[in-house]
This record gives sequence, C-alpha cells and structure tokens, in this order.
Amino acid sequence: MGEVTFAAISWWCTATGQPWTWRWIPYPGVWIAVAVPTVAYLRTARLSVTRRHRAAFLAGMAVFWVASDWPLGTLGAGYLASAHMAQFLLYTLGAAPLLLLGVPGAFGERILARMRLTEGVRRLGRSPILCGVVYNVLLLTTHSPPVVEALRRSQFGSFAMDLSWLVSGLVLWLPILSPLPGGRPRSVGVRMAYLFSATALVAVIPASLLTFAANPVYEIYELAPRVWSLSARDDQQLAGIVMKLGTIPVVWGTLATMWFRWARREGADGG
Amino acid sequence: MPRRIHRHVLAVALLAASCAAPSPTGRLQGVVVEDPTPKPSFVLTDTSGERYDFAAETEGKLALLFFGYTNCPDICPVQLSQIAEVLRQMPDVAAHTEVVFVGVDWRRDTPEVIRAYLDRFDSRFVGLTGTAEELERAQVAAGVPPAVVDADTGVAHAGWVIAYAPDGMNHVIYPFGTRQSTLMNDLPVLVTMTGEDRR
Repeated sequence: MGEVTFAAISWWCTATGQPWTWRWIPYPGVWIAVAVPTVAYLRTARLSVTRRHRAAFLAGMAVFWVASDWPLGTLGAGYLASAHMAQFLLYTLGAAPLLLLGVPGAFGERILARMRLTEGVRRLGRSPILCGVVYNVLLLTTHSPPVVEALRRSQFGSFAMDLSWLVSGLVLWLPILSPLPGGRPRSVGVRMAYLFSATALVAVIPASLLTFAANPVYEIYELAPRVWSLSARDDQQLAGIVMKLGTIPVVWGTLATMWFRWARREGADGG
Repeated sequence: MPRRIHRHVLAVALLAASCAAPSPTGRLQGVVVEDPTPKPSFVLTDTSGERYDFAAETEGKLALLFFGYTNCPDICPVQLSQIAEVLRQMPDVAAHTEVVFVGVDWRRDTPEVIRAYLDRFDSRFVGLTGTAEELERAQVAAGVPPAVVDADTGVAHAGWVIAYAPDGMNHVIYPFGTRQSTLMNDLPVLVTMTGEDRR
C-alpha cells in the first residue's frame, strides 16, 4: 500500500511546473478554509440571521471556494495569468461583498467584540480614503512580478496571497457594506465616489501594463506548461483585459443600485 | 501615510520596470559559448518528405536548432512558443532566421505529425525527422547528448536551443527557462553576426 505523508499532500494550490491536465487534484486546505467559517457561521448565526443573510454568506463562501480550489485555483497559481486575475476579481468583487452582506449588524458586532475589533472596523469603514489606499496597495503589491514569483511557488505563499486578496476585498467594501451601525460614510455621494475611485483609477495601471507589455511580465506564467495552446503573451493580454473589464459589471452595477435607491428615497422624501 | 505612499510607488515601479519595452543591449544574454563551435553538417527528412541539408539550407541565416519530440508535455512547447512569440514581434529578424525542430521520437514523430505540431506555433518552422541512426548522428554532430527514446519512461532529450549565427558558429545556447526578453535582446544581435564583425 502506498504511503501518503503529511508533507506530500497539496494543501493549497501552488505552481508545480507539471503539465496541465484535467485530472482533479484535492486541496484539503481549501476545504478546511471553506468548511470552518461556514460551519461556525451556521451554528453561531442560527437564530439571528435572516434567510437573505444566510444566502449571501453561503454564496460568498461558494465564490471563495470556486476561486481557491481546483481547477481555477490550480490554473491561477501556476499556469495562467488570466486565471490569476480571475481569482483576484472573484475574491475582491465576489466573495468579499457577499460575505459582508451575509453578516447582519448585531451579529457582526457580537463577533467583532469577541476579537476586540468592533471600534477599529467601524472607524476603518468610516475612512474611505484609508480603505482605498489599503486596497490599492495590496492590489499593486500582489500583482508585482517579484511578489507573484515569490508567493506562488509555495503553498503557504499562495495561501497568503489568496487570503490577502480576500482581506483587501473586505476592506474595499467596508465603506459600502459595513454591517456595523455607523460603520460607513453617511453620504451616498461619498460612498459612490469612493467605490469608483478605489476600483477604477489605480487598477488601470497594472491592467494597462499587462495588456500592452512587450514581453510576458510574470516568469512563472511565461515558462509554465502551456494550457490550451494559449501563448504567454495572449494569456497576459487576456489577464489585463479581465482586470480592466472584469470590475465593470460589479462596480457599475453597485453604483447604479446605489444611485437608484438614493433617487427613490429622495423622491419619497420630497413627495 | 508617507510609508504607505512609499510602498505604493515601489509596487508601481516594480511592475512598470518589469513591463518596460526591452531595449537591446548589444550583448548576448543567453548562455554564451566560450569557444564557439561550427554549424554541424547533417541531412534529415523535412515534413514534405524532401532531404534537408541543415548546413546548406541555413547558410547565411540565423539558425535556431532544437531537438525535441511532439508528445513532450513541458519543455518543447514552451521553448517553441517562446521563439514563435518573439519572432512574431520581430518580422525583420524572422525573415533572416530559420527555426529547425528535429523530432527525436522516431517511433511517433512522422513528417505529418511534426508538421501539424509545428503549425501550432509557426508554419514557417522547419521540422525534420529520420531513422534512429540518422537522428543520433545529427545530435552527436550538434554536440548534444543523443535522446533516449524508451517505450516505458518516455523520451529524455536535450532541452536547449542552439543558435547558429549567419557566420556559421554557435555563439550562444538557450536552456529551458530562457525568457522572451532574453530572446528579444539576442536575436537582433545574432542576425548581424556575419563573421565580419565578431562579438
């Protein structure tokens, strides 16, 4: 019988240099990262959350799972820059806002109070400039080639990168969706201006560089075994386009929703 | 706050530096051969079934010679793709360059299979094959260890690209892991090495 050692298990997706196949790879670390918060949420929030909250939280965890696990996690960790970018968008614009929507105010306060983080998170949500800076610093850092090369080659590094994307997504959405009472700017205009500037301005830099670079930027993806005969440059250009256009549906959809809600409220107040 | 801005600027700079358009340095960045060797002489069969004399067909051109096999899962597709992508960006260099792929898996790499394989990268690439003896002679002539073709363990072959400048000498090789930026720098230098202006 073959012996499976603890170290031989792939806990998290990482670059291996092995040719890509559609053979499923189990990542127990991903399952634990999905299962533990989900079970904890369902047990703790059993009585205090609505069906809508629960659906949002579970959808957020599902997006987190899809972004982290095989095949997208594997492709993003070691094969395709475009998959890496798709993961980034799923964490920051998919999983993070859904998880925040899944946490009602009182429940959020109770959880954060245990970690003595309530006031810190409330203040952070009220500081859109700080949130925008944190998000964009993490965006630029985790897309800079030396950081990608260093982190994607180890399971722990890859885990750290994925986690930092989720955290940066939570920080990004805090001024918009903070569940804490008084945990976001009061003005809808400020929130809309924040969301637009935080997601649309700085991200254009790496997206354009990836789209228009003369050579592949990331060695790890340039020299990876090819997937679907997609060349390294085409893959990188696709990554730039994904980064540039991928934010549009979520960000502009959110902005439109905020605008119409505000207009409806104003109309109701005026009428 | 200044510290945050500093990190911000650093990250942008790192990304921008990596993306900047390459500026040829005029010096070779591949693995330079200290004592350049002359172009080998061997004759194999090309993908149209004609005999192909490597030395004669590539005379006066930059020749990039690579021994691989079409079922190679990792090294061959990356090496060929790197060359194809760089040459697509440098049509002037491509016009004076001959990329020659020798299929060392004599059991499976027929002329038709090699042609179909190379067309995935660039239809101008030349594909060669031959008998086991011919292939071994060609590899020995080029100074690479002959590939080991084994039904059980697969194919073990030299993974590097050998560059012969128009002067007929091998000045540089490109092992697996060579980046496109290196090729973008080197190929324009190599095509000008005609023998009159040695490095």
